[in-house]
Amino acid sequence: MKQPNVFLAVFTPSDSSEVSPDAALVRRLLQRDVSAFEELYDRHSRLVYALVLRILQQATTAEEVVQDVFLQLWRNTAQYDGSRGPFVPWLLAIARNRALDQLRLKSERQRRREDQTDELPPVVAIPDFEGSLDEKRRATRVRELMNSLNPQQRRAIELAYFEGLSHSEIANALKEPLGTVKSWIRNGLLRLKEGLQTAS
Amino acid sequence: MNGSDQIRDDFRELIEAYALGALDSEERAAVAAHLATGCAECTAALREAQWLVSQLAYLAPEALPSDMLRGRLMQTARAEAAIARSQTRSDSTASKSMIPVWMWGAVAAALLFALYNAHETRVTKDAIERTRASLEEQIQLQKESARQLAVARREALILTDPKSIRISMPSANKDLPVLQASWNRELGLVVTGQKVPKPSGNRTLQLWLIPKAPGAKPEPSLTVRPDADGKFELLVANPPDSSGGTKALAITVEPEGGSPQPTTTPIWVGAVAGK
Repeated sequence: MKQPNVFLAVFTPSDSSEVSPDAALVRRLLQRDVSAFEELYDRHSRLVYALVLRILQQATTAEEVVQDVFLQLWRNTAQYDGSRGPFVPWLLAIARNRALDQLRLKSERQRRREDQTDELPPVVAIPDFEGSLDEKRRATRVRELMNSLNPQQRRAIELAYFEGLSHSEIANALKEPLGTVKSWIRNGLLRLKEGLQTAS
Repeated sequence: MNGSDQIRDDFRELIEAYALGALDSEERAAVAAHLATGCAECTAALREAQWLVSQLAYLAPEALPSDMLRGRLMQTARAEAAIARSQTRSDSTASKSMIPVWMWGAVAAALLFALYNAHETRVTKDAIERTRASLEEQIQLQKESARQLAVARREALILTDPKSIRISMPSANKDLPVLQASWNRELGLVVTGQKVPKPSGNRTLQLWLIPKAPGAKPEPSLTVRPDADGKFELLVANPPDSSGGTKALAITVEPEGGSPQPTTTPIWVGAVAGK
């Protein structure tokens, strides 16, 4: 029998009786269950920390940001709405936004510039298919797919994701036309999406 | 295709970049306004794009936060949970007690007073909010200064602690200076360099920990670029292993942001002695 397309699975309403491990832990977190917090931290702190460290390039600041992210999770667990998507992308989006805010704050202070204060789009729902690829396999697949892009295209996506640069800032940084940068990023992301669909 | 379909398709093309945060302000505002109309297709596309963007986190080189961070977080959580439990108990006790009628009257009067003052409160709240935003900015700046100070202190402690292992990192190229590293089991690892030439373009220096275990891959660590004078100090607050499992330190030139595994030959290498 043919396996269902992952992105179709994503949009298929989930059976409410099936609760992911993260969702179950978040429910316990709402009851101020410290052991659930420990478990969530142990499951996801490595990835969150790796992302924040990649953005900030400084371990001490990265740990401070990771601490803020998990404290926000602990203190404001209700901000996470499980019906709108899985937990990990939500947590990663918070971590990335916080790390980029920190990066901008640092660069603002250093350069005395006031033109980088725009915020990223708010974190909203994300489709669910966590668990269909385990973390190691997914990391390997994402890296393979990104390595298959041309180096400038990969660089453009990394500048946007890890440094929070906009299309025009990336075009300036790479000295490439704005239109080229826009297509690189869109096509690169679509290729990543197709590759992950195939991987599922 | 009618006009609204065309508009929707135009926005769909921007959704991935919107989720990535890469749109310039004008386009971003236009997409946000379109999403605010409740377009179901674009909202669904945004969800998918946000998930897709989150997968880019897996490009970050693997790294482990320190055990101290876990300890701090769990200590805070336990303390707050204990406070919340005792609060719940005292609330429950209070709700069980009888409330006299005169107290209901006082509560009603207080409510009326609160309503009367609602407008003034709102005005004051706006002013407080503005002040709060300004204060927040100042606090962030102070936190950053304090953090930098803490880093400098920690580096100084590592460099001066007699328990730290000293590691000399010479280069095969005799024109390049010898780098110095100090590794302290409790405090971390510091690598320093003077008169180090800057890597070309956006490239950066990356530190690697070479494990003793035969066949084990080098563990990626932090990246750094020397300043205008060729000076740098790199603090690895939580090296992934104690120095006991590490044979050597190495530094390569890598693309900005670092690599999960070395892509060039190490320029500096230092054997880790002791422990």
